[in-house]
Amino acid sequence: MTTDAGRGPGFRGAVAAELLKLRSLRSTYLTLAFAVATGLVFGITDTASTARHWATMTAAERADFDPVGTSLNGYEFGLLAFGVLGVLAASSEYGTGQIRATLTAVPDRAAVFAAKALVVGGLGLLLGEAAAFTSFGLGQWMLAREHLDASLTEPGVLRAVVCAGLYLGVMAVVGLGLGALIRHTAGAIGALFALAYPAYAAARSFESWTYLPDHLLLSNAATVLAQAHPPEAQPRVPGLEFALFDLALYTAAALVLGAWRFRRDP
Amino acid sequence: MITAAHLTKRFTRKRRPAVDDLSFTVSPGRVTGLVGPNGSGKSTTMRMILGLDTPDAGRALVGGRRYRELRCPLRTVGAVLDAGAVHPGRSARDHLRCLAVTHGIGVRRVDDVLAVVGLADAARARIRTYSLGMRQRLGVAAALLGDPAVLVLDEPVNGLDPEGVRWIRGLMRDLASEGRTVLVSSHLMSEMAQTADHVLVIGRGRLLADAPLAEFTRDEPFEDAYLRLTADVADHRTCPGRTPAP
Repeated sequence: MTTDAGRGPGFRGAVAAELLKLRSLRSTYLTLAFAVATGLVFGITDTASTARHWATMTAAERADFDPVGTSLNGYEFGLLAFGVLGVLAASSEYGTGQIRATLTAVPDRAAVFAAKALVVGGLGLLLGEAAAFTSFGLGQWMLAREHLDASLTEPGVLRAVVCAGLYLGVMAVVGLGLGALIRHTAGAIGALFALAYPAYAAARSFESWTYLPDHLLLSNAATVLAQAHPPEAQPRVPGLEFALFDLALYTAAALVLGAWRFRRDP
Repeated sequence: MITAAHLTKRFTRKRRPAVDDLSFTVSPGRVTGLVGPNGSGKSTTMRMILGLDTPDAGRALVGGRRYRELRCPLRTVGAVLDAGAVHPGRSARDHLRCLAVTHGIGVRRVDDVLAVVGLADAARARIRTYSLGMRQRLGVAAALLGDPAVLVLDEPVNGLDPEGVRWIRGLMRDLASEGRTVLVSSHLMSEMAQTADHVLVIGRGRLLADAPLAEFTRDEPFEDAYLRLTADVADHRTCPGRTPAP
């Protein structure tokens, strides 16, 4: 029989548990495989399509072409799966009742949420960067035949690839925040989808007054961050610094709102 | 030892409290049964003891501390939660490892408790494939992980086969005879009569009786004593002899 002494759970224990939880579920592998596979495949097809039509493209189309952004285009689709990974890390605990076992082992709810954020955010960032660099490498290899490829040493290129990976990591944290806030998988994924896509239409409805909502959109921020040469003269997209601020804002909002709700009774 | 002092929990403002100024003590060395009609506040009381629900007033202490202030919760209190408190996509072994790793409890202990509850052969199967009784056994395994001095079991015999019922009865008696504190909730009176040394009867969130089992069974079967006690407080009474009109 033991008593209340010895090594307690603490933050390290919570992190170890969250790592093990992700590793021991098939859904983790499926979600991440889907995320990376769609990102790679659609990036490759987009790049191949551009390379194929280069000869017949107009001068304006050629001027718009961004070899880096094109090779990373697939993650506009794959990013949803990164978000879903985060959603599931929180919502599946409530949906299945697992949360009660989790919180009896580590009653410090703030520590559990922080551990989830660290593990989900860290995995999302690592995998996001790996995926972005892989897609970039493949894309440039394909474009090299037309001599359209960019190199990481050119201005803005390394920043674009790193930011693309960062964006995917942020999506995982945003998903975690939504999952913790809403506690239902379907509802949280719906909110994630709304944030990623239809929010675009909502922001546009304000355009006769202000472009601020456009500038606050994650998708518009990604457009700027993941291209070597940010599009010019487009009032809808934010500047580079503002786009980075967007990522920080969404991360902070997801963590604050998620932590607030997670600390309430399950 | 578990002590509850003026424990109160209200989920909605309009309805009466789920648990209403409830005070009791659960002593070590015996099996204490927590009984009451459906909706009487048994599970809410247990959730407050385990720090899952925050009381609106009063407090529940385990070994003198609130659950959420314990240094090593799993080594202090073992909880058998309802059988649904697991992710069905994980294997039983992985589920226990996720809990054990928080307290630095090794994989050997995980395999040991799985063997104790009779799940060694199914340990690597996903919980999705388990029957209700197997999930209850997994819940008991989780409670035993940290070899705790206090055990809280919420309806542990639900879904168990006769062999399992007899096993858990013996297990609870053994744990109590080792000097541990055992609190078990049930709505099965025959089960309580065979297992508990001491009984807490609650209805509408209030304590109706707190006495040794022998005191209830001196003049009548325990079930009769229980029904007499709870006659006025059951919220969900059936209508005997009536069937819904076609």
